[in-house]
Amino acid sequence: MDKRRLSRICSFILISCLIPISAACVKNPPMNRATGQATSTPMDTGSYIDEDTGLTPMPDAHNPITFKIFIRDPSAAPSKSNPVLRKITELTGVTIEYEFLVGDLAQKQGVMIASEDYPDAIFAEANKFIDAGAFIPLEDKLPNYPNLYAHYSPFADDMTYIDGHQYILEIYSVTLNAAPLFEPTGPGFFIQKAVLEDAGYPIPRTLDEYFQLIENYKAKYPEIDGIKTIGFEILCDGWRDFCLRNPPQHLMGAGNDGDAYVDPITFKASLYQISDTAKDYYRKLNEVYHKGLIEAETFTQNYDQYISRLSSGAVLGFFDQGWNFIPAHNVLEAEKKYNRTYIAVPIANPGVKDSYLDAPSGSIPGNNGIGITKKCKDPDRLLAFYDWLLQEDVQNYLQWGIEGRDYIQLSGGGKVFTETRRKIQNDDATKRDLTGYILWNYSPKRQGLYENGEPCGPDDSADEYLMSMSDYDRSFLKKYGIKYPAQLLSDPVERPAYYPLWAMSLGDGSAASVAANKVVETCRKYYPRLILSAPDEFDRLWQEFVTEIQNGNPQPYLDEINRRIAEIMNRNR
Amino acid sequence: MTELNPALPRATKKWKKTLRLYSQQKSLFFMILPWMIFTFIFNYLPLTGWIMAFQNFRPGKGYWKSPFVGFDQFAFLFREQGFWRAFRNTLAMSTMNLVFGFVFAIGFALLLNEIKNTYFKRTVQTISYLPHFLSWIIVCGLISNILSTSDGAFNNLLMWLGIIDKPILWLGEPKYFWWIVAFANVWKETGWNSIIYLAAMSSIDTSLYEACEIDGGNRYRKMWHITLPGIRPTILVLLIMNLGFILNAGFEVQYLFGRGLVMDVSETIDIFVLKYGITLGNYSLATAAGIFKSVISIFMIVTTNYLSGKIEDERLF
Repeated sequence: MDKRRLSRICSFILISCLIPISAACVKNPPMNRATGQATSTPMDTGSYIDEDTGLTPMPDAHNPITFKIFIRDPSAAPSKSNPVLRKITELTGVTIEYEFLVGDLAQKQGVMIASEDYPDAIFAEANKFIDAGAFIPLEDKLPNYPNLYAHYSPFADDMTYIDGHQYILEIYSVTLNAAPLFEPTGPGFFIQKAVLEDAGYPIPRTLDEYFQLIENYKAKYPEIDGIKTIGFEILCDGWRDFCLRNPPQHLMGAGNDGDAYVDPITFKASLYQISDTAKDYYRKLNEVYHKGLIEAETFTQNYDQYISRLSSGAVLGFFDQGWNFIPAHNVLEAEKKYNRTYIAVPIANPGVKDSYLDAPSGSIPGNNGIGITKKCKDPDRLLAFYDWLLQEDVQNYLQWGIEGRDYIQLSGGGKVFTETRRKIQNDDATKRDLTGYILWNYSPKRQGLYENGEPCGPDDSADEYLMSMSDYDRSFLKKYGIKYPAQLLSDPVERPAYYPLWAMSLGDGSAASVAANKVVETCRKYYPRLILSAPDEFDRLWQEFVTEIQNGNPQPYLDEINRRIAEIMNRNR
Repeated sequence: MTELNPALPRATKKWKKTLRLYSQQKSLFFMILPWMIFTFIFNYLPLTGWIMAFQNFRPGKGYWKSPFVGFDQFAFLFREQGFWRAFRNTLAMSTMNLVFGFVFAIGFALLLNEIKNTYFKRTVQTISYLPHFLSWIIVCGLISNILSTSDGAFNNLLMWLGIIDKPILWLGEPKYFWWIVAFANVWKETGWNSIIYLAAMSSIDTSLYEACEIDGGNRYRKMWHITLPGIRPTILVLLIMNLGFILNAGFEVQYLFGRGLVMDVSETIDIFVLKYGITLGNYSLATAAGIFKSVISIFMIVTTNYLSGKIEDERLF
């Protein structure tokens, strides 16, 4: 070996030894967690305020970190060039990488749990992950973060899991002052506005009236924009088949409770699936199927086909939950087919008051939010980030944007969007890629009204809601003498403390969960057959269905929820 | 010493011989080593998970703290009606796939082999195996469009021919379901499966055909007496291998088309496992079902192999 080569090798070894040492030198300084201030920083950021936004950066903004978060919703991640998210990363050093759901949620969760391959944080069915030991308890950490603590401490009881720990940062409706409800985002029998308009603006209240309106309109207009008119759609795709199974409980006057009907006085659960109401409902569907209002294909199509049918504007009515058909609604609005959009009507059994809307209860389910996993790189940093986000001016920046460019401050104190920003806001893709919506929506956030009565965001703002409404909708609602679509339904109902059943964890693989699953599967199998059967076959088939439900032994499920309801109701007495 | 134990030198000798053989082949051993490690990691190591089937497994507790329950999971499984239904569906669909798969692939290969125009033959071959590369989700989308009741091609055709007077909901009728799955498989895989038979046919000695011609055999005779026997070993090997997979009826088609209306006939063991294991979180029961499936598969493959060895002297191992 010649001398030159030897010296090269030596210097290479020397340099590679030095790299880790020099890297260690620039590690961030220790942080005083109680105040959220760095004890010392190489660059003093404390007094620095961002020019564009007027926000104060976080102390460790110079130290980049990326958190991966799984989100239970099927959606798309915001683009990497999203200006708001880039600004937030610049001010905090934090990048959030979203993984949205593809395919079936239960399966995705099962795979994550079985492999223990968790991202930094998860927003999904929290109980499953808590039971699997995936989340870290937060009750000892929260008091260190003033904004988070102020935000969540009124709900401490709701957030506490049965094992006494708090795991979940609830992200929806964590507010003591809820804004009025403008549009029903939950369940409802929806009908096309054109149908009501054509019939002279009636309010259908029973199934008979509802289907009569649809039948009349379909007879009058067999085609809409060249497409064959479809009377009623029923989505049956996988877990979204609540559109098929849930209506009877709502007809009985219950809210979106779950897989059983709970008597409002005795608090005893029973199966609405085999009730007389259910029998009448599916018999009615059978009748309108034979009248040609339902296409048999509705039972074999998937969610995408369903959305594309609704988007065509040729479907007159369906039962669904508001959030589930937003994509179709957006297409219709974008094509300015306002009369083809839908409104929920107060359908219930004769003599029963509809109760589709939930009143703000001042409590939260406690498991509908983000859990930080045990695999999280730096839970404290993530909490500090969420704490920073909860500041009022950051919330304003994420929701409203920048004054003058994105919104206008009204003299009365409210805010409304500028015309350009409203266009961005109305299109899902631009809203996702140009605004802070996704980050805001999937983080702890302020909703409802601030202490001074000002709405937190555009969704809570009556000013903005009325400004963004189309002229068609405005005059449509005027005919009914109401200001918001939700006013067509009865006033929001205060729910008992146990509500809703669907948020209760039955325990993975337990007898109760197997029994509940069997009820759902039996319904899934029989309801379409009942609707498609020959009318004189109906009674026999119904009997067969009821027998199969009973043979499946639903009792463990009913016993378990009755026990849990009694437990919660006694505690809250 | 040596006189007292005469067997020793002979054993040593044999051992030495083996050792020499090994050392001669050491480069071959070295080459196969990565694949042995690969097989061990991906095929044998996961078997440790079978322990779940004998436990009441909870992900939070792991293997060590979950309670052992013996054969309880199997007992529950065999009492569960849904499992036997899934078992029946799997067996039925898979048998149909096997029979139609073989008949169509061999038939197609025989016919294609008779075509003398090479250019045409190659084109047909290429086009026919292209569907193999389509994902099932695309194929299912195509099928559901073709079978649609609103302007679907198949219903339109039948109505135009006057065979039916109103569209039939093909995907919603339990009695059609297995046939649709079998047809989908045939459409997707015939071309691909026939490649191996065509390859086998090309290696048949041409003098045999000449001999047949001299004996006065026509085309059909040649196909029956020469081509088919010529590919018999190939057919048998493939049959043995496929019978081992008899409980894999596929998963995607049944999953994608399995709506409430056809649930009774569409659920296969794989879907059953997915439902209980992943969706309901009962990993133990799902593992038990998986073990049951593996045991049947091993039994099938060993039996067919043995029978085939007896009848035809054609064995895989």
